[in-house]
Amino acid sequence: MDVSAVESILARGENLRKKEKNQKRAGSFGFGTICYSNCIRANWLTPIGSESGLPNQIPEMELSSIKDAFDRVSKKQKLSSSKTQEVIDQVGREIEQTLEKLQSSQDAASGVDQKAFLTELKSKINEIGPINQLEGSQKELNVGLSKYTKLLEKSFISDISKAYRNVEFDIHTVNQIVATHFYRQGLFDLGDCFINEAHEPEGTILKSSFLEMYRILEAVKSRNLEPALAWVAANRDQLLQNGSNLELKLHRLQFVEILQKRGRNDALKYARAYLPPFASGHMDDIQKLMACLLWVGRLDCSPYAEILSPSHWEKLAEELTRQFCSLLGQSYESPLSIAIAAGVQGLPTLLKLANVMAAKQQEWQAMKQLPVPLDLGREFQFHSIFVCPVSRDQATDENPPMLMPCSHVLCKQSIVKLSKSSTRTFKCPYCPLEATVAQCRQLYF
Amino acid sequence: MEMESLPNGDSTSAAAAASVPTSKLSHLAESLKLEHQFLRVPLEHLKKSMRANHRIVEKEMSAVISGVAEAADRDMSKEEAVQHLSCLVSRLQGLKRKSEEGSKTEHLQAQRCRARLDHLDGVDIDNQSEWNNMRVKRILVDYMLRLSYYDSAVKLAESSNIQDLVDIDVFLEAKKVIDALQNKEVAPALAWCAENKSRLKKSKSKFEFQLRLQEFIELVRADNNLRAITYARKYLATWGATHMKELQRVMATLAFKSNTECATYKVLFEAKQWDYLVEQFKQEFCRLYGMTLEPLLNIYLQAGLSALKTPFCYEEDCTKEDPLSQEHFRKLASPLPFSKQHHSKLVCYISKELMDFDNPPLVLPNGYVYSTKALEEMAKKNDGKITCPRTGFICNFSELVKAFIS
Repeated sequence: MDVSAVESILARGENLRKKEKNQKRAGSFGFGTICYSNCIRANWLTPIGSESGLPNQIPEMELSSIKDAFDRVSKKQKLSSSKTQEVIDQVGREIEQTLEKLQSSQDAASGVDQKAFLTELKSKINEIGPINQLEGSQKELNVGLSKYTKLLEKSFISDISKAYRNVEFDIHTVNQIVATHFYRQGLFDLGDCFINEAHEPEGTILKSSFLEMYRILEAVKSRNLEPALAWVAANRDQLLQNGSNLELKLHRLQFVEILQKRGRNDALKYARAYLPPFASGHMDDIQKLMACLLWVGRLDCSPYAEILSPSHWEKLAEELTRQFCSLLGQSYESPLSIAIAAGVQGLPTLLKLANVMAAKQQEWQAMKQLPVPLDLGREFQFHSIFVCPVSRDQATDENPPMLMPCSHVLCKQSIVKLSKSSTRTFKCPYCPLEATVAQCRQLYF
Repeated sequence: MEMESLPNGDSTSAAAAASVPTSKLSHLAESLKLEHQFLRVPLEHLKKSMRANHRIVEKEMSAVISGVAEAADRDMSKEEAVQHLSCLVSRLQGLKRKSEEGSKTEHLQAQRCRARLDHLDGVDIDNQSEWNNMRVKRILVDYMLRLSYYDSAVKLAESSNIQDLVDIDVFLEAKKVIDALQNKEVAPALAWCAENKSRLKKSKSKFEFQLRLQEFIELVRADNNLRAITYARKYLATWGATHMKELQRVMATLAFKSNTECATYKVLFEAKQWDYLVEQFKQEFCRLYGMTLEPLLNIYLQAGLSALKTPFCYEEDCTKEDPLSQEHFRKLASPLPFSKQHHSKLVCYISKELMDFDNPPLVLPNGYVYSTKALEEMAKKNDGKITCPRTGFICNFSELVKAFIS
């Protein structure tokens, strides 16, 4: 290797370092090909998530300019199409004209004329150059297409499977999750079809339960509360345990229905039959209902008009669904939808991380905990996670959060350290107050 | 009891509270960037039709031109010449019809590309949950198509009216090849290779070679050795330069025959080789259309489960709202890493609301912590008495102390 080659390599290295510096300064990971092995740690300290003020770093996606680029492509495509048609027509016309000439020429005309016509046709068509014309318009179209393709690659993440781990993702498990998802959405035909095609008979476990749920909900929609009341009566104890007063809500709606449709006597009878068990806990609700008896026929202009609002029915259907799912041991939202939504929010950060760690495939595949937080919305926060502000460790049973007398909270290990193994008083790292280990008590979130 | 502003949740949580809409917006913008395949696949489909249509026109046009040249150069009788030219005219008419049809298809495909752009552009904070539902459906259709559950895929797409947002017709093209391979026929797969020759070459695909190898193996299995050798000369030899090892291995089966017990060669005669070809085809197919090799569902589920996975998910009292409380999801998540938190995120056991600056945590004398809002409500209903829902411990609201979480 000669000197100039070495120099150019060194110069390239210098450029890379400069680039790296710039990117570091910008606080972003960048998608460059530079090996980040040395600065991964440093970068992890500046989080990738929203805390780094990401919004202004995301280049605003210019969907409108992408649309414009596509419109140009589709315009060129139309032009190319009409050009093709035009060329075909042109050539066709020339041939037809020659054909006419041939046919109209008298028998007397010699073969010489015929030859001349045909040669003329040949040179005319050569003049038109149909192949060149076709290629020209196609080329232009191709230029537009490749520009658009590149724009898409630039504006989007072209391969979202880069963060994918090659771990076993059991297909039967996924299929059963999908089938259950269809059933819980009320898509029973689709669920059956899927079970059939995927040969996954075990996916139907929850089908009958969800069928019952939708039967009840359909009835509620048509203002028939009987099936719902029957279900609630059968599951009264569990509902009470959940702290749900769904039964009272059902009776209230039923009472108002009867009052509106069948009048005061029937409503009173209904109240006497079904409301007394709720008297101890819900007296004011019952009093309100009884007062409604006075306004029969003009409930809508009474102080209790609110009770007629259709929103009660919607809320009831929601609560019914919630309780039904809860008793089934299921969540209110489809767990599949939740997991996908969490994936959509977490994936961009994961992809950046995978890019940074591209050179460390093994480490990537083997990690037990992600090195950076994935910034999820609060709707995905199902558990209390306490992170010690001193050690940055997540609290565990062995290292629980402790409340100091000054009301600040640290993890046990940090407190033990601060107190030199519980031997002396120490100052809270967040305020001037002092504490001893004995004064600290464990918290349960 | 009066609420004073808490030094709790210092500047970060205050900032977080204020930036909720921005973070939502940035989540949205980031999530749109994941939709490359959504735009790319119909574009590739369109490009493919364009190429095919162009090829037809070019071929026919060249034929017509040489037809004219022939007429000019050869001596023909008048009748012959007239007939020759009329033949060319009707050929052109046929071409025109074809090109019109082709242009119609292209137009529909372009519309689909455009519809997808519009779909991405149509999402905003207000209709996001509906849009997200649609996304789940798109992801599920993609999953079903990749696993060849075509009927279910079509059913979901039609019932949700999202035909333009999913790639059913693209996958139907794959179905033909897959069905044939499952019946141990390679012809449609070879035709597909020929159709996409230049692009497969560009990606250095050896799928065609693998198909040829399998055909060779079938000839050996049938004891048709002479034909096998002729076949190898014709179709395998060309791959020698790049894939000599595989070529040699397969050629050796001529000596070992299909009933061999030698493991190296026995495996070549197994039926699962055909399944392997199907998998290979699916990968080539996805690559050609710019799709991820894994189903989108797997990619999103894996990311989501990793993001949701905490040690608490595996405890007995894990809330049912957490997907990871379900056995199926736990099973999928088990090989995945746990998520990581840099800051405390506390959820009130009673109200399931976040305990933050607006709803700070309060500590009962027994060390259990709940949100201020939940405890205030409980105190209001019970004359200032608080009952710990997890231990049954009873105390007064005035006995509660604050906890400052930073």
